[in-house]
Amino acid sequence: MTIVTGKAETGRRLQPGRSGVLRNVWQHRADYAYVLPAIAVMLVVIAYPIYYTIELSFFKTPPGLQLRDKTFIGFDNYTAILTSPVFWKVTWNTLIWTIGSTFFSFVLGFGAALALHRDFVGRGVLRAILIIPWVISAVAASYIWKWIYHSDFGIIGAVLVGLGLADQPPNFIDNVSTVLPSLIVVNIWREFPFAMIMMMAGLQTVPEQLLRAAEVDGANAWQRFWHVTFPHLRNVSTVTILLLAVANFNSFIIPWIMTGGGPSNASHIWITHIYELAFGRQRWGVASAYSVLLFLMLMVLGYFYVRALAGNERKEGGA
Amino acid sequence: MSTIAATVPRGRTRRRVRVDGWRWAGRIFLVFMLLYTALPMIWMLITSIKSGFAAMQFPPQWWPEEPTLASYQKLLDPQNSVGQDFLRFFWNSLFVSTVTTILSVIVAVPAAYAFSRFRFPGRNFLFFAVLLRNMFPAVIFLVPLFILMRAIGLVNTHGSLILTYLTFGLPLAIWLLKGFYDNIPVQLEQAARIDGATRFQAFILIVMPLSTPGIIATAIYSFIGAWNEYIYAYTFLSKNEQLTLPVGIQRFFSENTTDFPGLMAASFMMSVPVVVLFLVLQRYFVRALTEGAVKH
Repeated sequence: MTIVTGKAETGRRLQPGRSGVLRNVWQHRADYAYVLPAIAVMLVVIAYPIYYTIELSFFKTPPGLQLRDKTFIGFDNYTAILTSPVFWKVTWNTLIWTIGSTFFSFVLGFGAALALHRDFVGRGVLRAILIIPWVISAVAASYIWKWIYHSDFGIIGAVLVGLGLADQPPNFIDNVSTVLPSLIVVNIWREFPFAMIMMMAGLQTVPEQLLRAAEVDGANAWQRFWHVTFPHLRNVSTVTILLLAVANFNSFIIPWIMTGGGPSNASHIWITHIYELAFGRQRWGVASAYSVLLFLMLMVLGYFYVRALAGNERKEGGA
Repeated sequence: MSTIAATVPRGRTRRRVRVDGWRWAGRIFLVFMLLYTALPMIWMLITSIKSGFAAMQFPPQWWPEEPTLASYQKLLDPQNSVGQDFLRFFWNSLFVSTVTTILSVIVAVPAAYAFSRFRFPGRNFLFFAVLLRNMFPAVIFLVPLFILMRAIGLVNTHGSLILTYLTFGLPLAIWLLKGFYDNIPVQLEQAARIDGATRFQAFILIVMPLSTPGIIATAIYSFIGAWNEYIYAYTFLSKNEQLTLPVGIQRFFSENTTDFPGLMAASFMMSVPVVVLFLVLQRYFVRALTEGAVKH
């Protein structure tokens, strides 16, 4: 068996060291056919927009999409952004939003995964119910919570008044100081099941024998968790946290539908702000410059993201 | 807890007492999570069977005095304009999501297989380039894509949505499937090729069936993503008869700002297909994550 196919395989793997890049590429020409459709779609829908955004960020653009009339203005869009107070407000909001959502989604999801790891009656049903918020549309979730937070007929306000904790229903999302935390609660509601699924999958890879051996050696539940389970989950935790952070940093629907960024920018995060600049106020040039800045910040995050995934890769290669 | 443990002499029982502490903490935590997850959905259902008048009361009717399915009848009745719109949005969402799902699988499967098996130059670069796509928010791509779609005549067509949905579903699909293929022994294919199968036949006949859970998981992921997508649909489509559900519902709500029962009924019906699909197939999803992405 190894004689027939093994030769071809090893031949391929050894090639790069010996011959020129072009020859190497040519020898693998058939391989590219498999990835070509994916790459082609990506190029059209990603590479071109990125190029175009960078170009547009150096231009002053007229409203409407009559972009032929744009004029080159160098870095003016960038200086305008970095000197505006709204920029810092929105950046601060984005930080709170991303860190708060990611931290609590991960902790709650991990906790639920641990609690669900043990078998008990009704475990499957419970797991299914906990996953539902992740599956339903963020638009539906936004409307459900908007109704729950409603300033006159919302159920939370009614419960608080009923228990005597408030004189009148509090106004959660029209209030500058409560709007962001209220929206983060909605976001966590939708995001924690993802962390739960990932960590449940991760828990299944923890070797049962190791746990039993630790138990025999007298380790208590916490020690078993901290010294056996957790080290095994380090990799999946990193990937989960990064995926959550990226998703939260990029979220749009919940703030957009629930508040539109208001009141007075208190719930604007980067993405909703860029959207409003572009499609609300038609300031395409400024919005593009914002996008480029966003892009640069994501590159920093992306460095860790690729490193975490590449770590995964290396382990797979070694195994 | 330690005092209880101290009174029980034998190791075995003592251990069980300690474990029970954690177990109770876990149970309480799960009850809390269940309430957090389920109460909003239950309140959605209760509101959806109220009349418009009953919904707007303070204190609220915890259970409607006169439950009614009027909202559902209105939304599902092809005779009136609301029902017509809703059913059309529903159909549009179904069409776009189904086509996106089929195309995603067709494109992702060979790409993931190649990333897993072949060692062609630039493989790592392309793989991470694909993954990096996941990092960038839709908003960055909106303006240029809108111009691009206008240039190739896809604005106000479902084609524009299908093309863009394909790309945001692909990265995770490829990543998930690649992990899956990594765990299928190469020897299986080699055996098939000794028996005279071509590389392609080995792929179709041996690898594809073994990776079915991965493919199903990929399909669910693409379908749910497309079904729930909002921002591109909101930007690319302006004709009423082409809207998908999330945008359609938003438009419905902006016209009937106080019809919360109708809105909740619409939200519920929009959620049913994806929730049912996911619940039926979730074991594949978890399995695909376990065997694919997470395993190391």
